[in-house]
Amino acid sequence: MGALAKIFTWWNGATFGTGLFTRRFGGRVGSDSLGNVYFKGGTDVHGNPRRWVIYAGANDASRVPPEWHGWLHGTIDVTPDELPPARPWQAPPQPNLTGSREAYRPAGALEAGGKRAAATGDYEAWSPN
Amino acid sequence: MPKLKVDGIDVEVPAGATVLQACEAAGKEIPRFCYHERLSIAGNCRMCLVEVKPGPPKPQASCALPAADGQEVRTDSAMTKKAREGVMEFLLINHPLDCPICDQGGECDLQDQSMAYGKGHSRYDENKRAVTEKYMGPIVKTVMTRCIQCTRCVRFAEEVAGVEEIGAIYRGENMQITTYLEHAATSELSGNVVDLCPVGALTSKPYAFEARPWELKKTPGIDVMDAVGTNVRLDSRGRQVLRSLPRINEDVNEEWASDKTRHAVDGLVRNRIDKPYVRVGGKLQSATWDEAFQAIARAAEGVTGNAIGGLAGDLAEVESVYALKTLLGAYGSSLHEARVDGALYDVSQPASWRFNPTIAGVEHAKAILLVGSNPRWEAPLVNTRIRKAIKRGAKVFAIGPQVDLTYPVEWLGEDIAALGDLPDALTQATDVIVIAGMGACTIEGGYGAARQTAAALGAGFGLLHTAAGRVGALELGFVTEGGLAAVAAAAPKLLFLLGVDETDLSAFDGAFKVYIGTHGDRGAHAADVILPGAAYTEKPGTWANLEGRVQRAERAVFPVGDGREDWTILRALSAVLGKTLPFDNLGALRAKIAGDHPTLANEGIALSGALDVAPRGGDVSGAIVYPITDFYLTNPIARSSPTMQRCSAELLHGETFAEAAE
Repeated sequence: MGALAKIFTWWNGATFGTGLFTRRFGGRVGSDSLGNVYFKGGTDVHGNPRRWVIYAGANDASRVPPEWHGWLHGTIDVTPDELPPARPWQAPPQPNLTGSREAYRPAGALEAGGKRAAATGDYEAWSPN
Repeated sequence: MPKLKVDGIDVEVPAGATVLQACEAAGKEIPRFCYHERLSIAGNCRMCLVEVKPGPPKPQASCALPAADGQEVRTDSAMTKKAREGVMEFLLINHPLDCPICDQGGECDLQDQSMAYGKGHSRYDENKRAVTEKYMGPIVKTVMTRCIQCTRCVRFAEEVAGVEEIGAIYRGENMQITTYLEHAATSELSGNVVDLCPVGALTSKPYAFEARPWELKKTPGIDVMDAVGTNVRLDSRGRQVLRSLPRINEDVNEEWASDKTRHAVDGLVRNRIDKPYVRVGGKLQSATWDEAFQAIARAAEGVTGNAIGGLAGDLAEVESVYALKTLLGAYGSSLHEARVDGALYDVSQPASWRFNPTIAGVEHAKAILLVGSNPRWEAPLVNTRIRKAIKRGAKVFAIGPQVDLTYPVEWLGEDIAALGDLPDALTQATDVIVIAGMGACTIEGGYGAARQTAAALGAGFGLLHTAAGRVGALELGFVTEGGLAAVAAAAPKLLFLLGVDETDLSAFDGAFKVYIGTHGDRGAHAADVILPGAAYTEKPGTWANLEGRVQRAERAVFPVGDGREDWTILRALSAVLGKTLPFDNLGALRAKIAGDHPTLANEGIALSGALDVAPRGGDVSGAIVYPITDFYLTNPIARSSPTMQRCSAELLHGETFAEAAE
């Protein structure tokens, strides 16, 4: 990613200003399996510790895994490495697929084959044979 | 003529009117559940309470209180408001609050009136009463917990439908409405209780959970299931007619409709002809319009005069019959026939084929003679009028096989020869009506004998037709001397069929048959070329009912597939055949019809002149056979309808569909 893109776009990783702020005040806490890096530093207006994430790739909040989501929003204070290990029945998290090729298509959508269920106004044609 | 004051407004009502009617005359709305104009007064819902002076110092049920001179009625007082709120609270005690899953939602009297006259909140904490569902047959779905015991359905079944099968059992809070032994209601008018029910206790079974009233497009239409010409409202969503409900027309159907009228509409999306077919090597193959027209043009080459013929079927509307008649006329042919059921009657003047006493006029008869007619199946709404006449003291005599007509009948025999030996009670009666059915007209000389009997009795004479399109085609003169047999004897080389499905076409084996219709039925299987037409909901059309009453319908939905309005098919075909018809749009066509046939120019009954002397009579004999053998399956639309098939199987052939008790 070029420096110009860093200045003029906001949808991939940190913006120029956030990067500067992070370098000055942020302390790296850890990173998740997707490569997103988590920081903390200072306090917010309520006096709570400030926590933030810099995405590796698209700035899509659904790409934060649930354990880091808990830390990021102050639900837990410990980092996910100190949490008990994941249960065997827990499925891996999945980011929002809307807009991607894997997005859900209802039966009947052209991308899903276009075979829709019978609806109002459909008729059964007569065939002589 | 009592004069009274309603909220300070002076009104004068006819003697015998009720306070509720007086309030309506003054323009005041009175909420009600049990009161219905066409049923007897029950007075058990108490919603119509008003304050009346002079009288006891308490609100009174206005529906059951006769209006009297000098009464002062208040519908806007604090006492009336409080009384209504209290009654509504009582009604809602045991009414479930399941409007979101109730089919009546959006067209529910209780919903509307609780909004307008209720308290707006509930003070009731106890458990609600629950009632088990009752089985009422293939048309009526029941959710009896919602019932508020207005007994409209009970009164309708007894008074109008004439089947004492719906009733109430137990008392007080435990009262339940049910059919006798939970059998299906055997009336062909049972669908009307769905409209009458002010709540969602009785709803339409075929229409259950199909649509909400506000998402439907409402189109005024005319029903073609029988010759009565019931005025209907066609409710459609998208491209499908979901239901057909009666419109009020006091002269025709009052506010009733038969079950066939209501529920045959699901046949409109089944078994449809949606593209042209041409018979190649003995097999029907789908074709384009152009190929089909070329096939007809080849068959029409060198054919002129009466070698071309046309038959108009039971459902054909005036426009298409006129277009076909004009096309045949261009070939110099007058070989056309509308009486495709083989009946023969005088077609010299409109009065000879119309139902002259008029449907509403039947009510005022003192004696009625039915000759070869089963009105319960051929025209259920004429049958209700005969019931009304009986309530006023009329006597009914009938010639034909004995059937249950829902009222007492004196049967004179199965042979039409019984016309020669009528009982004194009939010959000495005044205000007599003779109703001749198609069962009499299919007997040689039967029509003449019935009409001569009517003339001898000084009676009104009416022909009870069975097909919606018949009278319109007769008014157009779409007949041939000698009827269907004469057309067959002329052995046409090219024959046009406008939806002819009830006729045995084997007599026309030598003809090249062009079928214009909607459903793959008898006519389509016999045809050489099939052109997809429009069903009655799919075209703006004109029909004349059995009285000769001209009624126009609008288009609710478009024809399926490649289907077109029938007259436009004939217009397009005429251009290919080189005999272009002289009209390009519906307006021009209707102007032409009005010019040639003034009786069809305007809606309503055009005067037809008095019936002249009976044609011929004498002794005729022959056992009468009624034209309809299965009420629910009389036309291709009904035969394609799963609801009508189930009605036929369950109500007429005794198959059991009742769900097992849960």
